[in-house]
Amino acid sequence: MKKFATALTFAAALTVGAAPAAFAEDDYPSQTITMICSHGAGGDTDYNTRLISRLLEKRLGVSVVVNNVTGANGSIALTQYKDEKPDGYTIVGTNAMSLASNEASGLSDFGYDAFEVISVYGKQCGENLLVRADAPYNNLEELIAATQKDPDTITLGVAMGGSSYIAGLIMQMDKDAKFAMVDAGGDGAERMTSLLGGHIDVTIAPYTLAKEYIESGKVKSLCTLMSDRLPATPDIPTARESGVPNLMIDTLYVLLAPKGTPKEIVDKLSATVVDIVNNDPEYKEAIMNFNFQEPYGLNVEDSIARLKAQREHMMSYAKYLQ
Amino acid sequence: MLADIIPGLMSVLTPTVLFFIIFGVFVGIIFGSIPGLTATMAIVMFLPVTYTMSPIEGVSTLVALYVGGISGGLIAAILLNIPGTPSSIATTFDGTPMARKGEAGKALGVGVVFSFCGTIIGLLVLVLVSPLLAAFAIKFGPYEYCTLALFALSLVISLTGRDLVKGLISGLLGVMLATVGLAPVDSAKRFTFGMVDLNAGFSLLTLLIGLFAITEVIKAAEDVRKPVTAKIETNVRIKGFGFSFAEFWSQKLNLLRSSAIGIVIGILPGIGGAISGMLAYTAAKNQSKHPEKFGTGIMDGVVASESANNAGIGGALIPLLTLGIPGDAATAMLLGGLMVHQIAPGPLIFDKSGVEVFGIFFALAISAVAMLIIELFGIKIFIRVLKVPKYLLLPVIMVLCVIGAIGNANRMFDVWSVMVFGVMGYLLIKAKIPHVPMILGFILGPIFELNFRRAVQHAQIDPSGVFSHPIAICFFVVTIIVVIFSLRRQRKEAALLKASEES
Repeated sequence: MKKFATALTFAAALTVGAAPAAFAEDDYPSQTITMICSHGAGGDTDYNTRLISRLLEKRLGVSVVVNNVTGANGSIALTQYKDEKPDGYTIVGTNAMSLASNEASGLSDFGYDAFEVISVYGKQCGENLLVRADAPYNNLEELIAATQKDPDTITLGVAMGGSSYIAGLIMQMDKDAKFAMVDAGGDGAERMTSLLGGHIDVTIAPYTLAKEYIESGKVKSLCTLMSDRLPATPDIPTARESGVPNLMIDTLYVLLAPKGTPKEIVDKLSATVVDIVNNDPEYKEAIMNFNFQEPYGLNVEDSIARLKAQREHMMSYAKYLQ
Repeated sequence: MLADIIPGLMSVLTPTVLFFIIFGVFVGIIFGSIPGLTATMAIVMFLPVTYTMSPIEGVSTLVALYVGGISGGLIAAILLNIPGTPSSIATTFDGTPMARKGEAGKALGVGVVFSFCGTIIGLLVLVLVSPLLAAFAIKFGPYEYCTLALFALSLVISLTGRDLVKGLISGLLGVMLATVGLAPVDSAKRFTFGMVDLNAGFSLLTLLIGLFAITEVIKAAEDVRKPVTAKIETNVRIKGFGFSFAEFWSQKLNLLRSSAIGIVIGILPGIGGAISGMLAYTAAKNQSKHPEKFGTGIMDGVVASESANNAGIGGALIPLLTLGIPGDAATAMLLGGLMVHQIAPGPLIFDKSGVEVFGIFFALAISAVAMLIIELFGIKIFIRVLKVPKYLLLPVIMVLCVIGAIGNANRMFDVWSVMVFGVMGYLLIKAKIPHVPMILGFILGPIFELNFRRAVQHAQIDPSGVFSHPIAICFFVVTIIVVIFSLRRQRKEAALLKASEES
């Protein structure tokens, strides 16, 4: 009986405790927001997370503190925080490519729908398909034709299981390219080193890393893997235009909230973020200087649709990844 | 690359960076001078403090701590007859007798000035060699890195001391710890037992903090209540440098030889300052016209030890910057520091982070000057620090350890790892198993595995495999020679030791 009474009191206390929370959306946010960044300090995901949190802070009038919780391609942070208290005071900044490729490779067992999606708020300047400047091929078609002529001799350095590997798979499945795929590191800089050192013939790395080598004439970019040409590099064609329509790897930066976060809070955050991305000149200048990014911000519905499409695209190659 | 020199210099010539360098050297000397606290520990403690700094501020601070920490060991070595850090063991051989003869001031002056000279010589070699090595290292592919890691692991034998088996146990433990988490190449989960936190594996920083800070605290706690019996020489006065120019000039060959030994030992992975000081001391003694005076308190001994251990700093930075392979435990910490600040060591470091690398070079030079001035004029302060009771220092260090662990990735998991590694380190000490081989195994094991698996992929494409990679074959041959010679020497020494114990 006594136990029952305790339980009752406890339940009552819980209800009382929960009551103010139900009305909390109106005055949200009223305290510090913690933004968990799934990748390490200094990288592109971190830069975008920190930039948006700094500008959010100005708009929302409360502190937005970024914590980097790193490891296993972001899956540590995403697993740990997907079931965090859904009160809008803990949100996660990550990149959607990690989310989708971790699920496709079996590293994680959940996708974007384990979260409330706030916004897809940025797009990386694009992975480029790179060869050394003295390579005999000048575009993607020539490269693929060369691999068919001499199968399994032209080495494509990728991160096994990563987005560069998926790119290799797409060329193999769709266009019958016959690359010899080898591991050359999860870090784009490591793949660049291998390419420059002559240990691999072709690799895939972000434009920012390749830029100085393209300009100094050591490396040439055959195409970008973005779905559209990067405005900063109008003469680098996309893989889509070069005859491989499925070869689209867009690294999207995304803000997520734990599942169950009230819709009002998600909508308010989303609207604020999209407004910053589209209308804040400081934001536009910062992403351009850092990473040649163009503003790209989607509302909740468009973000979900974009993530869904990317997930399906990745999952269609999942069976080759596991 | 040369265009980065001036911006590199400018980047350290700011009030904040200069302040951090002076602060770092000062703190480093304190850590170096107190027996039980080491240069490695100083870097461990202050790494999290640098998280919020700019890369050049952060790395300069760490370099300054390193220089101060290595050099600070001479103070306790001379005044207490206890090496403040392992790297100044050989300094006690002649430093303490000098102090007993009433020449404490001269011994300190000699130690400080030749620490400075050694650092500068090491730095010059670093500046000259690392761009060349970087240009050469771009030719290093999977085969080369795989055999390089193998070669470096074989050197573990030479630093295991008397008990080869225990050294190998330690090295293997390190390799095994490193296999936890996602495997290289195929990202298979290994030894995670379904724990998400283990997916990321253990980070180098948590292992280092555990082994080199927590373990030391536990060990020091053992005798914290024992009365201090060591007598501190407090009657110290340094006039000028404490010695004449003629005396300085008479040591020029000793300085060059000892620095060369320090640099070579520094470059070789895993063999830290302790051994370089001893080797240089022995070499100086063998080459001397009056070897019988060594150990009675002559400056030659202090010169050899201190110039060698400080020259090792520049040496140890060469493979760290150009290959990402640290030369000792302190540089292993620096490796963590560089990565935190997004400076990726490797052949492209001069391309990608040229300004920061030259910043590091200048920071090292400024640190050496700061060390010279601070030690010459502030010696009284450090003598007083030697008297601070351990029970005040240790709790502070413990707190800093936890901050350092959480700062690594904002996960409580890392704090628990640090504690577990600390206890593990203590148990290993009780079992007389050395720590350094474990760190090397932890760093080199994954490098070996990753590149071995890549080399296998390459061998499937090009069946000539390792035979078309002469550098790799060289490493292979050298590894075999090192193993054979070390084993023979090991056996001889063990036999000698046994004979001397029986007689």
